[in-house]
Amino acid sequence: MGSFLDENITSQIKVVFTKLTNPVEIVVFTSQKDCEYCEDTRALLEEVCNLSDKISIKSVDLDNKPDIAGEYHITRTPGIVVLGQVDGKMKDFGIRFSGIPAGHEFSALIQSILTVSSQEVEFNPDTIEFLNSLKSPIHLEVFTTPT
Amino acid sequence: MVLAHRMAMISSMVTADAVEATEFPELSGKYRVSGVPHTVINEGAGNMVGAAPEDMLVEEIRKVLKQ
Repeated sequence: MGSFLDENITSQIKVVFTKLTNPVEIVVFTSQKDCEYCEDTRALLEEVCNLSDKISIKSVDLDNKPDIAGEYHITRTPGIVVLGQVDGKMKDFGIRFSGIPAGHEFSALIQSILTVSSQEVEFNPDTIEFLNSLKSPIHLEVFTTPT
Repeated sequence: MVLAHRMAMISSMVTADAVEATEFPELSGKYRVSGVPHTVINEGAGNMVGAAPEDMLVEEIRKVLKQ
């Protein structure tokens, strides 16, 4: 038992994670400087990873590894990237979280893990056509709060 | 799943970051986030306040692209 997830949540997530197909990797960016939630975030994500052998975690210090942070365009901590395996390689779909994934963000995190694993997303056909027609980068930042 | 994350799954052009607003007050202030969810498109080129239905977010992204 970890310290963030109680027994009830743990058993629920374990059931949901039986649906995981392709492996998932979570990259968490932390910093020793002025990051109140970095350690908690890393510990929480490790607990989540321990609930399925399909999920691995990599912890990266933003200040010591600016090259890796740059590769993922991570500028703030805690920063989370959720990768899914495609053709034997981990693929970055562009899914990020900034800040500790608690409350609503926690369920969004679990859902993102399931989706990068299944790689199945439903949209109406017009939306898919629009998204596939994009020629320039679109960066979406969705601000939320835990409650 | 967060709509923005689902869009990122479809298009390699889209990156989507779910930001915990209270942990990043400077950023929330910069974009004048007062209610959540609040979606910021391309560093403030577009905004969508409230839970955005799929077609409304698409419309907002289209507007940003026309600028």
